[in-house]
Amino acid sequence: MEWLDILSNVLHPSVSVYLVIGVLVGVGIGTLPGLTATMAVAILTPLTFWLQPEQGFAMLIGVYNSAIFAGGISAILINTPGTPASIATSFDGFAMTRKGEVGLALGINTIYSVIGGLFSSFVLIIAAFPLARFALKFGPAEYFALAIFGLSMMISVSEKSILKGLLIGTLGLLISTIGLDPMLSSPRYTFGNIHLMEGISFIPVMIGLFGVGEVLHQIFENDQKVRSIMADNTIGRIFPTLGEVKRLLPSTALSSVISVVTGAIPGAGGDIASIICWDQAKRMSKKPEEFGEGSIEGLANTCLANNGVIGGAMTTMLTLGIPGDAVTAVLIGSLMMYGMQPGPRLFVEHADFVKRFMLLMVLANIVILFVGLLGAKLSVKILKVKKEIIWMLVLLLCVIGSYALNSSFVDVVVMSVAGILGFFFRKMEFPLGPFILGMLLGRLGESNLRRALALSQGSYSIFITKPITIILLIAAILSIVIPLIKEFNKKKTVQIH
Amino acid sequence: MKKVFVVMLVLVLVVSMIGCSAAQKYPKKQITLVIQAAPGGASDTVSRTVAGLMEKKLGVPVVGVNKTGAAGSVAMSYVKESKADGYTIGYVPVELSMVKALGYADISPKDYDLLGRAIVIPAAVTVKSDSPWKTLDDLIAYAKENPSKLKAGNSGTGSIWHIAACALEDTSGIKLNHVPFDGAAPAVAALLGGHVDVVTVSPSEVLSGVKSGELRVLGVMGAERSALIPDVPTLKESGLNANVVAWGGFAAPKGLPKEVREKLIESVKEAINSDDFKNLCEKRGMDHAYQDPGEFEKFATEQFDFYNTLIPKLGLKK
Repeated sequence: MEWLDILSNVLHPSVSVYLVIGVLVGVGIGTLPGLTATMAVAILTPLTFWLQPEQGFAMLIGVYNSAIFAGGISAILINTPGTPASIATSFDGFAMTRKGEVGLALGINTIYSVIGGLFSSFVLIIAAFPLARFALKFGPAEYFALAIFGLSMMISVSEKSILKGLLIGTLGLLISTIGLDPMLSSPRYTFGNIHLMEGISFIPVMIGLFGVGEVLHQIFENDQKVRSIMADNTIGRIFPTLGEVKRLLPSTALSSVISVVTGAIPGAGGDIASIICWDQAKRMSKKPEEFGEGSIEGLANTCLANNGVIGGAMTTMLTLGIPGDAVTAVLIGSLMMYGMQPGPRLFVEHADFVKRFMLLMVLANIVILFVGLLGAKLSVKILKVKKEIIWMLVLLLCVIGSYALNSSFVDVVVMSVAGILGFFFRKMEFPLGPFILGMLLGRLGESNLRRALALSQGSYSIFITKPITIILLIAAILSIVIPLIKEFNKKKTVQIH
Repeated sequence: MKKVFVVMLVLVLVVSMIGCSAAQKYPKKQITLVIQAAPGGASDTVSRTVAGLMEKKLGVPVVGVNKTGAAGSVAMSYVKESKADGYTIGYVPVELSMVKALGYADISPKDYDLLGRAIVIPAAVTVKSDSPWKTLDDLIAYAKENPSKLKAGNSGTGSIWHIAACALEDTSGIKLNHVPFDGAAPAVAALLGGHVDVVTVSPSEVLSGVKSGELRVLGVMGAERSALIPDVPTLKESGLNANVVAWGGFAAPKGLPKEVREKLIESVKEAINSDDFKNLCEKRGMDHAYQDPGEFEKFATEQFDFYNTLIPKLGLKK
């Protein structure tokens, strides 16, 4: 079948209605902290089995794309990322809300999520096989270098004090060592408790730090600024100006490429991609001091990045049958239930289905564009709600969300402790970014360092004989050294004056 | 007199109410099925499909709840300690026979009323097609000449697919360089990318690579050939005594009332032997392998003894 026939096929109401349902469900689940895109897809999958493959996948693709996009909505409105992929969105998103630019923040979240989604869908259509081949080059040594590159951003996400940033980042790294060690499975800091063997789960910590921590902070700080926004009923403009779009062009173009490649690499997803893109946008920006204080550049790049990984993850899944992230791991199961084995043969045996799949990715993003822009107006209603009620709702959602994850009270306890820590971190002006980076990348770095050394039988040469590894490690060194040199020069000029 | 009458009346009411509820047979309310793995994986799909089929038979909702952690010990301990009233049951994977030896939790098949086995998944010894090893003998010959040179990817230290590689070493007298990954899929990705030489994981994990001609399965470690790749011989056929399979079944806390137990066994059996479930097994690359509670208990106990000898020998106990 030709593309046009397939387009008319997927536009047929019998398919597109499921796409719209999927998008709406995804917005709901993605916005609620703790309910992730993975969970959304896993829960909906059994419901799709009585549908045709294209109908079922219309729903699943809609849910996946929109849950990731919607994670940014709660990051912007209540400073609690709806999914881990939106952690970096909260850096600038909530600051914009405090400045009274909530409409613009939501508009940018929608528009740039869609741009990221569309770009990665086109990459999927045009270059699925070469991209997947490249992703396979990532072995343990490359993952280790990627983790080091990610960790090198600790300095730039440290906000005011590099020292505080490094301290709290190290704490994050230490927490990531709790549980069974990745090579020998020997328990570390588990105190014989089986609930600690898998380590401290990331999502409850994230919900606690951002959700509960923020609520406590607002209660105790009696934040007049936030109160005044709530009193103001307008959300401001939604669309960025042409000038802003032009200013965003170079950094977002680079972010598109970074995110789609990160998505294709198995095991690296939207959380890592959006932090990398935030950091590189800051480096390219003429106004890096605005980052973390409500920069539209910071926001746009993170929104673009987390949706940009989706097409990349789908690439690895469809061409190799290997999941690019947790969501695509579930999707592989659904494909197999429809009797389709993902892999190169899929493109021959089920060529029509693959084309439909790709077009559904494009259409899902178009539906998100409309839903997101129309929905932005509705957010005024949320902001009109009394602050106290919002606080209660957020606390309630944090408890439900952390419990729902694994039906585990231990996770609720972890979430609560993280919440109290989050409050004190804010009070003492410890930035959360480095902590998140440490927890997120500690295990990736450690397990792959040891795995790579197991492969090379203990020789460190494995890290300097592979091109991707060298490039990433050099980039990591530069990103540590350059800010220090800049700092040094600044001090020198100050002294001269 | 009036007081006595009132007391009598209340007693009669209470007794008749108790009588009613006793007369109303099991099951009266929702049954919880505890799943030890995350949503979306093979264990989850098997459990939820069987739950759906049991629901039809029993007439009450059977709801799957995921409780992950410590190789399934969290979920299995939870089921073990639940009330034996038939309203909490669980999926039990091969780890039921392993976690004690691994030192996660004091659990053995004897702690449960087993309800029936559903599936087995054999380990598939897989290499790249452009590698020089065409048969298992080639691979073993190479490994004997180059001890600890062959990089074997597995799904995590102490996982069933790691044990599979160890059993291969044990039976053929070779030495491998074990490299654990976070699950089977990353290990297969590392094989495709040429970072490791061989993996021992489930056939369904390597199937797409096999179909595209990039991967080659040299042998499966089950008692019989896998339905998914019927051309590949078992290790037994090659004269090696290594039988490592992942399996899964259903279990309830020990000490179910007889009537409840029979009802559950019947509904589990019917669900597992249904066409819907067989269909699922075929599509997801698992071998349908129902066993009744008696056979299942014998099998699980044998496995328990096997792993409790092998795992300490490998030095994997925490």
